[in-house]
Amino acid sequence: MPIRTPRRSHLIPRTRDGRIAAAAFLAVFLLALPPVTHTVFNRTEPWLFGVPFLYAMLLVVYAALIGILIWVWRRRL
Amino acid sequence: METWEIATTLIAAYLGVTLLLGVLANRRLTLAVEDFMLYGRKAGFIVLYLTIVATVHSAFAFLGSAGFFYTHGIGFWAAGAWTVLAGAITYVLGTRIWALGKAFGYVTPADLLADFYESELVRVTVAVVSVVFTILYIQVQAQGLGYIISVATGGRVSFELGTLLLLIVAAFYLIAGGLRAVYWTDVLQGIWMYVAVWIGALVLSYELFGGPLQLWREVAAQRPDLLTLPGPNGFFTPGMWIGMIVTLSFGIVLQPHMLIRYYTAVDAKTLKALGATTPIYLMTLYIPTALVGLGGAVAMPNIDIPDRIFPELLFAHVSPWLTGAILAGAAAAAMSTLDSVLHSNMTILTQDIYRRYVRRGASQAHYLKAGRLFVVLLLAVGYVLTVSTFDFLVALVTLSGAGALQLLPGLAGVCFPGRRTLTRAGVVAGIAAGLGTLYLTLVVIPHPMGMHGAIWSLLVNGGTALLVSAVTAAPSTGTIERVHGELEAFVYGSPKLREDGALPSGGASER
Repeated sequence: MPIRTPRRSHLIPRTRDGRIAAAAFLAVFLLALPPVTHTVFNRTEPWLFGVPFLYAMLLVVYAALIGILIWVWRRRL
Repeated sequence: METWEIATTLIAAYLGVTLLLGVLANRRLTLAVEDFMLYGRKAGFIVLYLTIVATVHSAFAFLGSAGFFYTHGIGFWAAGAWTVLAGAITYVLGTRIWALGKAFGYVTPADLLADFYESELVRVTVAVVSVVFTILYIQVQAQGLGYIISVATGGRVSFELGTLLLLIVAAFYLIAGGLRAVYWTDVLQGIWMYVAVWIGALVLSYELFGGPLQLWREVAAQRPDLLTLPGPNGFFTPGMWIGMIVTLSFGIVLQPHMLIRYYTAVDAKTLKALGATTPIYLMTLYIPTALVGLGGAVAMPNIDIPDRIFPELLFAHVSPWLTGAILAGAAAAAMSTLDSVLHSNMTILTQDIYRRYVRRGASQAHYLKAGRLFVVLLLAVGYVLTVSTFDFLVALVTLSGAGALQLLPGLAGVCFPGRRTLTRAGVVAGIAAGLGTLYLTLVVIPHPMGMHGAIWSLLVNGGTALLVSAVTAAPSTGTIERVHGELEAFVYGSPKLREDGALPSGGASER
């Protein structure tokens, strides 16, 4: 039996967890982009974990993004 | 023993191990094209993890990224964003590519696009774009290898001879064991390069500054311009930041050697695990290179070629044995990318061109022989490009990183079903317009309005594809239903069954 063409877009998540994951990833990823990186994060003070503010904050953002990916994987989304 | 003798011995030992792995892989090889070119579609998590990370991180990650930190400062930490995004793309797009490859027996990226858009013109366009833009990677990696050998031997082995030697080693194990040999050597290379770069950076930071945290304090005191954006030379503007993230995340994933890796996964679960966890390796490799580059800017300012800061510091401050081991790690970084590009180009030339247009219906053994001959041909072309200086190559290398990005609209049309679809004319016109724009915005007028040229090319490509698709014939309903129906079933049907690799009804078995 041929499979019917889906009429619903695959670009928008269909489940609640899927929508949460997509929104969370997008929201956190925006913190790794201008204007946040070039304004709010763009300084050395205060130092966090012994490294400059910009470097530390981006490390936190990247860790959060990886955390979201692992959450999505564990939830089998 | 002198430093160069120890370094050369360790690199020779490393090369010996890769050759041995090639021979061992050869013993497991069958006469099936899928086994030689796709690892029999049986790659598990550990092998696939290490081959992906080793392939993504080339000589550039090992040597070039430290040079970037050295010259432009902390802005290169944007690397973390594109490595994480590459993981997300693998999770979402890679699993769909795997599902279609499994269901319909695709071997190359052009197989997927040509099947959906029902066009041999699409196949040839994708194959040509894939080969032309990635063959330049052979040149870049081979140059890195030649340089590493030349440095390690203290100039006793010339750049040209070093390049030839390492190209022959990579070609040998690829010819002997196919993708299995590439994957097995990548496991070794992936571990070696990661350990080497971390140990090298930590030893240097303790040797020169008393530790990583003291290194950061010293950089802040002596070169504060390196610790904020856009950096001392104003390179990391907002437009460049965004452009590099898009180009290097999608650009990495859409390279043919990466797309082919998706086909080789044993199941979708493996690919999802890779998407979630490879960014850990990929992102954290840039932590030590930041220490090397930024620390190097303080400890060894004003060197002529910033990309050489890592080996220069090693030779000046670290024991010969460690220097040799780390340089072997640098060679591993370059070879793991080089062998993958050789393999993908061989696969594309054999499957998309030779098998389709030169010799149809031959035996599996014949195509394996043809593939091996293509490796020899690519080795010769790669060597000539590496040791010669052609003016046009400078422009092509500039374009190469963003070339694969031009496949994005066409791939998105296949992998993300929607109410409307792109057409074969739209995809080809989009790629042509995108490549033209890429040349204009990277070579003629670099990065207009502060925005990376790749972003301009992608916008023009996508816009052209949509416009042309609106007035040209779409693929047949049967094909759209077959391919998009497969994706609907894979993503929203019975996920557990799908993730375990079971074929659906209506898939390859019923075609």
